[in-house]
Amino acid sequence: MMIELCDSGAIRDGEITRVTAPGFPAVAIARHNGALYVFPDRCPHADESLAEGWIEDGRVVCGVHFAEFELGSGEVHNRPVGCPNLSFFRCEDRDGKVFATLAVEA
Amino acid sequence: MRPVYPRASSYPDFARLVDRDKAQVDRRVFVDKAIYQAELQQIFARAWLFLAHESQIPNPGDFLRTSMGEDDVIVVRQRDKTVKAFLNSCPHRGNRVCMVDAGTRARGFICNYHGWSFGIDGALRGTDGKVYETDETFEKAQIGLTPVAQIDSYKGLIFATFDPQAPSLEDFFGPFTWYLDIMLDNDEGGTEFVGGAIRSIIDCNWKFPAENFVGDILHAFWTHQSGAQAILGGAVDLGKRYDELAFQASVYGHGIESNLDKVGNTRTLGYPELVDYVFDLSEKARDRLGDIRARAIGAISSCTVFPNFSFLPGQNTFRVWHPRGPGKIELVAWTLVNKNAPEHIKELYRKGTMMTFSPGGVFEMDDGENWEYATRVNEGFVTRHQPLHYALGLGTEDAASEMPGHVHRGSLNDANQRLFYTRWAEFMKYDNWTDLQNGETAPPVRRAQAAE
Ligand code: FES
Ligand code: FES
Ligand SMILES: [Fe+2]
Repeated sequence: MMIELCDSGAIRDGEITRVTAPGFPAVAIARHNGALYVFPDRCPHADESLAEGWIEDGRVVCGVHFAEFELGSGEVHNRPVGCPNLSFFRCEDRDGKVFATLAVEA
Repeated sequence: MRPVYPRASSYPDFARLVDRDKAQVDRRVFVDKAIYQAELQQIFARAWLFLAHESQIPNPGDFLRTSMGEDDVIVVRQRDKTVKAFLNSCPHRGNRVCMVDAGTRARGFICNYHGWSFGIDGALRGTDGKVYETDETFEKAQIGLTPVAQIDSYKGLIFATFDPQAPSLEDFFGPFTWYLDIMLDNDEGGTEFVGGAIRSIIDCNWKFPAENFVGDILHAFWTHQSGAQAILGGAVDLGKRYDELAFQASVYGHGIESNLDKVGNTRTLGYPELVDYVFDLSEKARDRLGDIRARAIGAISSCTVFPNFSFLPGQNTFRVWHPRGPGKIELVAWTLVNKNAPEHIKELYRKGTMMTFSPGGVFEMDDGENWEYATRVNEGFVTRHQPLHYALGLGTEDAASEMPGHVHRGSLNDANQRLFYTRWAEFMKYDNWTDLQNGETAPPVRRAQAAE
């Protein structure tokens, strides 16, 4: 089920924003070259917030140990030992609102 | 976790080891472990200490590692272009956080022990969310690398102090800035360091090189005789006609001596082109600096900013003598040039300082060995009880001089070294800056005001 997250106008290009939908863990929303990306606000390395990281050369950079994840594929670079790829939620911009299919996480 | 800046104490017994009346210094100041620890507390944890030249870290995230006393410090350019400095030690278990000497555009610093991560502003950015985020009592916002108490810069040189009570950097220099400007402000474009830093270890007490640069041109006639022969084809010679001009000047223990001969130091680098450059520069600088200081730019001269930052006008070597115990220093040296100097001139300075004042340099090798033996012999119990003679030029004060500070006639003189050790004794004795800034080493005008 697609969940409404926020106004898409609130997501500026090159930035990552943290959003919480009731009943789900926090998510991070990023815009890069116009496209929207929604992913867990939790680094697959050691659970730190990705919204506190930044976008650089088409990658999400975790501000804690600097793991880098390609926007779209989620492939990890500069990988701390044991860090898997990042997975993204399906998302779309519907009438100026960001919607995404959030998984309920354990 | 708030930063803790240790308080100063008072060591009058140590202060008495400098005997002003007899102009003698007790050799225990060079070897005694308790005195050395008192120096770390009284001097290195309070004085403004040189960290870096602005030009070494131009962009956000550019950083270098240095020391303040024995404290390992990281100096980082911030996104807002200011500079911050922190202890290079993790607040978790104390591990050294930054292992490399310098780097550019760092994203932050990650401690190698448990992975705590600090931003370039020193704040703790994260740890391991799997562990710490689940601990409700953990308060990340309160944790960070310990910042220095104050940081400031003077004409491109960045200094810091661990003492929140310390006066401003400007007050710490007092009117000594008049002399610093000989090197830092002789040209409108300002200065920069070229190339990297040269590090070396010398087994000597840090005060020997500091006192040498504060006012010991005397040694050049003996120590550097053969080196000078090799480069100049002749002996070290101050030149009789400069007798009237040569001086020593001191403010708060910072000291400079100069022969005012225009290019004597520059000449020892061995490049006639550099000598021409300095002659021109000196001519041009008369408008900015006046005649006396314009003559000092390349002259036979040396300078120490108390306690351990020294340079040689003319040869353009700038250096810090980091203490590493009573009998060891780590010497870090750079070459300063004017930003506007032509590239080939900068290159000649770089090569020239390498040939003369690097670990393999002609003059540096001469000096190091003397300082090592001057330190080591004091391990002898009886030897260490024999006072040292600092009484050259006792009657040379030039009270009528219009130059700032304590001015003495002639550069062959122990005057600056006496005032350097007097400043050392003031730091040992006084636990507060009011006394520290109004003692015997204070500029004469200020002392007169304080006495009223
Ligand atoms: S928590 Fe993101 S890289 Fe370690
Ligand atoms: S000592 Fe630095 S993270 Fe533990
Ligand atoms: Fe020397």
